[in-house]
Amino acid sequence: MIDLRHVSKRFGGHTVIDGVDLSVEEGEFVVFVGPSGCGKSTLLRMIAGLEEISSGDVWIGGERMTDAEPYDRGVAMVFQSYALYPHMTVAENMGFALRIQGLGAAERRRMVEAAARKLHLDHLLDRKPAALSGGQRQRVAIGRAIVRDPKVFLFDEPLSNLDAELRVQMRIEIARLHQTLANTMVYVTHDQTEAMTLADRIVVLRGGRIEQVGRPTDLYDDPDNLFVAGFIGSPRMNFLPGVAAGPDSVRVAGLEVRVPGLSSRLAPGQEVQVGLRPEHLTATEGVEVPLAIEVVEQLGAMAYVHGSLAPDVPVVAEWRSGRPRVGERVPLRFDPRDLRLFDREGRRIR
Amino acid sequence: MAAAGKRERRSLWIAAIPMALLALSCVYPIYFAVNNALKTSKGYILDRFGLVTDPTVQNFADAWGRARFSEYFVNSVLVTAGAVGLLLLLSSLVGFALAMLRFPGRRFVFVAILAALMIPIQVVLVPFYRTVEGLGLLNTRVGLVLAYTAFFLPFSIYLMTAFYRGLPRELLEAARMDGARFLEVWWHVMLPLGRPALLTLGILNTLYCWNDVLISLLVLQDRRTLMVGIAALRGSTRPTCRSSPPGSCWRRRPSSSSTSSSRGASSAASPWAP
Ligand SMILES: Nc1ncnc2c1ncn2[C@@H]1O[C@H](COP(=O)(O)OP(=O)(O)OP(=O)(O)O)[C@@H](O)[C@H]1O
Ligand SMILES: [Mg+2]
Repeated sequence: MIDLRHVSKRFGGHTVIDGVDLSVEEGEFVVFVGPSGCGKSTLLRMIAGLEEISSGDVWIGGERMTDAEPYDRGVAMVFQSYALYPHMTVAENMGFALRIQGLGAAERRRMVEAAARKLHLDHLLDRKPAALSGGQRQRVAIGRAIVRDPKVFLFDEPLSNLDAELRVQMRIEIARLHQTLANTMVYVTHDQTEAMTLADRIVVLRGGRIEQVGRPTDLYDDPDNLFVAGFIGSPRMNFLPGVAAGPDSVRVAGLEVRVPGLSSRLAPGQEVQVGLRPEHLTATEGVEVPLAIEVVEQLGAMAYVHGSLAPDVPVVAEWRSGRPRVGERVPLRFDPRDLRLFDREGRRIR
Repeated sequence: MAAAGKRERRSLWIAAIPMALLALSCVYPIYFAVNNALKTSKGYILDRFGLVTDPTVQNFADAWGRARFSEYFVNSVLVTAGAVGLLLLLSSLVGFALAMLRFPGRRFVFVAILAALMIPIQVVLVPFYRTVEGLGLLNTRVGLVLAYTAFFLPFSIYLMTAFYRGLPRELLEAARMDGARFLEVWWHVMLPLGRPALLTLGILNTLYCWNDVLISLLVLQDRRTLMVGIAALRGSTRPTCRSSPPGSCWRRRPSSSSTSSSRGASSAASPWAP
């Protein structure tokens, strides 16, 4: 549906998007994540046609759209600030695109009402945006997009101005919308949960380049590099400094551990980063390692325990049973199969 | 509590006295003009400051008819309406472009417009006159409309640009996503949103165009606008001391400072000059 072919964006001499190749299937929900300033919004706006493309090509629905006007691309966008027209009522806001197309008032009203019903906005149609709550404005912004029945929806951090509870609610609503409309959606966020729950595929960006593209669970379980491993997952993966002890074993936190399932061989003495997720540190069997508990973040159902395995080897572990206490020294277990190894450049060793 | 309220009330009163005097200084000339305009010649000569005893509207009729004020009035209305309409239209378009669109040289254009704001009308009077004459617009209302537009446009553009800069760019982008082209964005989004600024500009420009004498004197030499008519009346050799007060009843003023007394034609000149 959307094909980005080596697109780049330069502002002055500064390259913000650097040769991105990406292909989004029809009906797919793709989420862009990455640290602030990595170019997520810019890439989205390049798809929308709001940002000129310095080099490369954008194809949408099988047509080359690199230089097409935003509207002609058949995409609709929901802005972070909603960007509702303050002087128009909700109905006029939602019907604006139809009005520009030259549709009659009656048909416009019919289409707006149909869209409003989907988003439970029926009773608000004659209000101005100023008289709406944040969540309602958000829904109007989404409504404005769906009225046009576009091929592609683009969302730029649509939920970041909402409070936590509303955010969860709207997240579910967007997921439901995607199921009923079955349109292609591209969604920018830096909220982990939104990315993991909504996405069919996640695109991790850093410094204007794609670090990895994949299903949420793939990125979580099988990251390509240190950056993706650290970026996906909260609290983030623990990285422990290690040294290869043999072709398939590493010395880490005073232990020598055999890492099963490696297809490449380690050079003995090679420095590696050993990645281990917090929830993998409290297995019931496997290699045992002592932890000195320094801080406990108690959440009720579980606790995040901060401590160190050895001097200068801090880790976070997820605790699901019992009530850990600060100052205790407890044995942790992990399964060597859960270890992820990265080389000095941060590339994954598989 | 009560003491504080009393003190507050006293300070209000202290402030009210100069305010009242100021207000009086604005209202009195209007009263004076209307009062005398209703007197007959004789009444005016006998008692300039007393209240009118036998009011007559004959003076107004004379001014309207014999002094051709009816004609001047139409000129003033047409020219002011034309110029203000054109000013609002152009300044809103240009302000939108300068504030929202990205095109090369937009900063330079904005600075050039700001620079034009610094030039007093008097400095460019001669080349301005030559230009109007050369274009064959002398003694035409269109010429005067264009002249007003030219002189008052820089400030209008500056104000609209500043106003539109305060609006989020996403509004423009949302409208583009909705399929609106440049003029449609302007018409459906920018123009309605610019209403507060346009209203202010409309009032200011109306006052300036209506009260202008200098530019009008140069461009409409034998047709005259109302203000030129009034100014001419004042200096005419006919002993029509009566016709002047009714004439000046037509005059609206932007501020009290120019209300104080009758001055030469130049007093209503460039409102933008420092
Ligand atoms: N108009 C512009 N001119 C110059 N640089 C720009 C412009 N717009 C964006 N940038 C730069 O491009 C980079 C990417 O910006 P972008 O807004 O895409 O980041 P982002 O990933 O959306 O960040 P965030 O998560 O904070 O929204 C930033 O370094 C930013 O400074
Ligand atoms: Mg952004």
